[in-house]
Amino acid sequence: MRIVVVGHGMVGHRVLDELANHRPAGVTDDVVVLGAEQAEPYNRVLLSEVVAGRYAPAAIRLPSLGAGAGRMLTGRRAVALDREARVVLDDAGDAHPYDALVLATGAAARVPDVSGLADLPLLPDAGVHVLRDLDDAVGILGQVHEARRACVVGGGVLGVEIALALAGHGVATTIVHGGDHVMDRQLGSGAGTATTGVLERAGVRVRAGSRPTAVGHTGGRVTSLTLADGSQVLTDLVVLAAGTQPDVELARAAGLPVSRGVVVGADLASPGDPRVFAAGDCAQPPQGSTGLVAQGWEQARRLAVVLERRRAALESGTGLDAVADAADDAPLPAGGADVVRVKGAGIDVVSMGVSGGAHRPEGSRRVALEDPDGGRHLEVVVLDRRVIGATCVGGGRVASDLVAAYTRGTLVPADPAQLLLRPVAGAAVEAETPLRMPDGATLCRCNSVTKGQVVAAWRDGARSVPDVAACTRATTGCGGCTDAVGGVVEWLRESDPETARDGATSSASR
Amino acid sequence: MTASHCPYCALQCAQTLTAHAPDGVAVTARVFPTNRGGMCQKGWTSGSVLTATDRLRTPLVRGTDGELHAATWDDALDLVASRIAALQAESGPDTIAVFGGGGLTNEKAYALGKFARTVLRTRFIDYNGRFCMASAAAGANRTLGVDRGLPFPLADLGGAQAVLLLGSNLAETMPPAVQHLAGVRARGGLVVVDPRRSATASLTADGAGLHVQPVPGTDLALLLGLAHVVLADGLADTDYLAARTTGLEELRRSAATWWPERTELVTGVDVPTLRRLAHLLAAASPSRGGSGAYVLTGRGVEQSSQGTATVTAAINLSLLLGLPGRVGSGYGAITGQGNGQGGREHGQKSDQLPGYRSIEDDAARAHVARVWGVDPMTIPRSGVPAVELLRRLGTDGGPRALLVHGSNVVVSAPAARGVRDRLAALDLLVVCDFLPSETALLADVVLPVTQWAEEEGTMTSLEGRVLRRRRAIAPPPGVRSELEVVADLARRLGSTVAFPTEPAVVFDELARASAGGRADYSGLSHARLDVEDDLFWPVPAASDGAASHPGTPRLFLDAFPWPDGRARLVPVQHVGPTEDVHPGAPTYLVTGRVLAHYQSGAQTRRVAELVASAPEPLLEIHPLLADLLDVEPGDLVRLTTPRGTAVARAHLTTDVRPDTVFLPFHWSGAGSANRLTTDATDPISGMPEFKVCAVEVARWEGSVDVLDDESLLDELGVGATAAGVGAVG
Repeated sequence: MRIVVVGHGMVGHRVLDELANHRPAGVTDDVVVLGAEQAEPYNRVLLSEVVAGRYAPAAIRLPSLGAGAGRMLTGRRAVALDREARVVLDDAGDAHPYDALVLATGAAARVPDVSGLADLPLLPDAGVHVLRDLDDAVGILGQVHEARRACVVGGGVLGVEIALALAGHGVATTIVHGGDHVMDRQLGSGAGTATTGVLERAGVRVRAGSRPTAVGHTGGRVTSLTLADGSQVLTDLVVLAAGTQPDVELARAAGLPVSRGVVVGADLASPGDPRVFAAGDCAQPPQGSTGLVAQGWEQARRLAVVLERRRAALESGTGLDAVADAADDAPLPAGGADVVRVKGAGIDVVSMGVSGGAHRPEGSRRVALEDPDGGRHLEVVVLDRRVIGATCVGGGRVASDLVAAYTRGTLVPADPAQLLLRPVAGAAVEAETPLRMPDGATLCRCNSVTKGQVVAAWRDGARSVPDVAACTRATTGCGGCTDAVGGVVEWLRESDPETARDGATSSASR
Repeated sequence: MTASHCPYCALQCAQTLTAHAPDGVAVTARVFPTNRGGMCQKGWTSGSVLTATDRLRTPLVRGTDGELHAATWDDALDLVASRIAALQAESGPDTIAVFGGGGLTNEKAYALGKFARTVLRTRFIDYNGRFCMASAAAGANRTLGVDRGLPFPLADLGGAQAVLLLGSNLAETMPPAVQHLAGVRARGGLVVVDPRRSATASLTADGAGLHVQPVPGTDLALLLGLAHVVLADGLADTDYLAARTTGLEELRRSAATWWPERTELVTGVDVPTLRRLAHLLAAASPSRGGSGAYVLTGRGVEQSSQGTATVTAAINLSLLLGLPGRVGSGYGAITGQGNGQGGREHGQKSDQLPGYRSIEDDAARAHVARVWGVDPMTIPRSGVPAVELLRRLGTDGGPRALLVHGSNVVVSAPAARGVRDRLAALDLLVVCDFLPSETALLADVVLPVTQWAEEEGTMTSLEGRVLRRRRAIAPPPGVRSELEVVADLARRLGSTVAFPTEPAVVFDELARASAGGRADYSGLSHARLDVEDDLFWPVPAASDGAASHPGTPRLFLDAFPWPDGRARLVPVQHVGPTEDVHPGAPTYLVTGRVLAHYQSGAQTRRVAELVASAPEPLLEIHPLLADLLDVEPGDLVRLTTPRGTAVARAHLTTDVRPDTVFLPFHWSGAGSANRLTTDATDPISGMPEFKVCAVEVARWEGSVDVLDDESLLDELGVGATAAGVGAVG
């Protein structure tokens, strides 16, 4: 089968990998992937971490694919799709025929309509950036040491991560965000307030409910942003993080159904052409796109399964209209595909499922813990004994437990409030004194010896740890209880000097 | 007084045995570098098994009435031999299968493998070590180039600054070993990864270290996340990697997909803990001036459908930190069964010949054939791993007879109810044992054999140290050694291949067969081991006139056994357990051990003191889950998976995660954990996924009698189908 994958980002790369994993032994396909970037595929999720200086660009390259995975063409942009001829044309003039086409073109940064922005090219030396690819990250990183002030336009997850990264370099950073508070797609107002507090403590100013209206510049370099309220923010670095725009041009020009993204069914096939599929940020599946890589990876897996199932039809060209299978229409497992965790030093914000202003299903129950002064906000939404959503700011291990419960669908406690607190870790348990210890308490685990047995040994004349060991085998395993057994012997000696002398029966242990 | 070693686990605590009337021994602990004079309750009471009231003392043959009856050895062996001959005449050599055990001495394991290959000429031999060590073996072989559980003496742990224990509960499974962790605990560097706060995890309390509690089945993801942090934060030992390994670039790329936040999503281990752990290990490693670090794996992470990958990831991590092949640091797998190490070296494994040789390697076949005095062409090729072997029993074209040695498969194998069905479908089941185990009771012929204190031999401990097992008392009349059984059967089957029955002679032959193999014992003999108790393999024979080889306490100091001398970094990816929780079964089941019992409990459930310590299986369940299910302490709880149902008593404890229950597997009957476990296996090692499956948990409202009579469970119609084990197409 001839398969062309357009786009060699994280999802395109995973598509090739999954295709190879699902391909039956002995079968070979002619697979070509066109990557617009010169760089080998890399982990885009970590771009904000590259900006933070936590990762070198070379450290985020994705695994090499096996020889059979396909031919990888870098620096090739697909420019046209001829569905009649079933061929993709690239910008080098080469034609790539296919039996199945996978669009994994991703999304571009959305550039907001701001006066003056058009005057400045999105080039490093103008001081205005987006963060979509590795070159962008390297470009921003190249400027942080000269920049004194920075503005991040857009306070979504990426904007917050970029702002923290810049602040970490010592750059005075301001987030300009149109919503009521940062990350308003994920967070309600309580969590948003708590997050803003965290950002401010990290040196990031937040100007919420505000949009830039104009960019000031001097000599081809940005100098300020003017906001809708007329105020001006001085800056010598602007990063636009105002959302993304699925890259749908190829599909649109080829007459395929396109809405925000390339419309696909649960089987990831275009309703307009059974040979064209889309996955990742460029796709618009029935349940909507999260913009998170977990969803794209899950789609890559499904795509491989679907293509394998339809191999015969795609190769022969017959029966393609009837290939849809009920299994292909099942919604993809959530599997954490919408868990968001902000990356960055000093921030601990996680959201999943039903959160923020999202519609809460009937019958669900929301339990929250508000601790604004402590920089903490925890809430969980429960339905039918399962976690269906949660928001954690400053949650620590509560958040990781909630993620596990949410992604696995494990049972939640009868009182969901139990989900929001953890037993204090490492709380020192007061050592039990021999006096208070019940007779049935195990002193020596290796040999199952209880305090009662040690006391009995004492009564039988054992007067030292070795005596007790000879009688009961306590302390003869790992030896970890030697002090505890010694303590009991000491206590018996002190509390019962009579017995110690003549071996008479003690009442002290009763 | 006889110096020997404990009959149970791979720590092989040194014992002194003193014969006393009528046929028992008094057992005391002996000072030795591994157990340092310590011994757990199992070891102290091990003498009781010799005098168990139902000790097998005569062969048993199933009569036409369906019952087992006493028989003479001649009658029993004649019967076995004639049935084997008849079945092979009808269905070919592969119709007889052999199932060995990791508790057998090296001599017995060797003889059994030789018997299967030269007398039965069947390719179907495997052993219960497939349930314990196969993934550790496969992981180590493909990276380090050789599989010796601990490639260093256990006592080396004493100086470490950090020890990462993954899925090992050695405080219960081999308690005296805990002594070797005293140093690292004092330095605050013991890290235990276990979904449960086990006795071992509790050793990290009070500043002794860190307990990390991942979601069951996600250890591999945790290791990948650690590798990511080590690489991203510049903690790797770059000089070591450049000089001693290959494959770094691909490993780096593979780790790039496991950034901390993703790792947290999968494992439930929070990002700060992950980072702290990576930095703790790195600070302890030699390249950063630490006093040493160890990464150790146990069954908890290995008994998984991705066990080989998990071990590989653990080794990758240790290589990134520059640990293997350095004194005071390293990677090791903590072997479980008494001779789990030697048992996997000398020919019980479906694809191996003695000396850890591959049965597919023509040079190895030629060498071993010379020692055996047979034509290499007559040695069968690879068989199939244990779970697959059990699945094929009694199926169309599958083996029609099974010889079991030192294993209690109907309790210890996964999806055990299906195993019972497979055994029932056989034409002939022969079990060699010293006790009427649950498996022996199903046999057509039971052959009573010697126990540890009644026999001579060698065991290879978790360190790769070869130890002498010595005879303290004569076996009871009517009991024979398996070496004799095998020789008798060989003779009856008309074989001319020699089967010596004197253990020292068998050992000498084993040593010759192992010469030049990875586990080379050719420089060893019983006589040498009687005066030297510190010999670690390989111990090749010295050439004439040269001083004898001193053994190899520490492997890899100069090179890894690959042609270029470099360890392989092998990228692996996490997929997850074959059966994850789902709405019908929203809780994880983790299985494991308790201190008082060993393996299937066939021995320890016959020792009164041990039964008093742990009389029945207790289900560990978190109070929050118990509350939700209306389960009170001590209530009976029903557990259901597609393989079957079990009933156990609830023990409420916060030691388990609220999404997980824990059930020990030492019991038969209604509380038998392996009625529930999945028989999905690792694709590389064939090791089953004992450690994690999804289970439905509910209060048991039925009869209490099921605890004594598991057949009631099935009659009540709650036994479910044996979906996991079926005929092989």
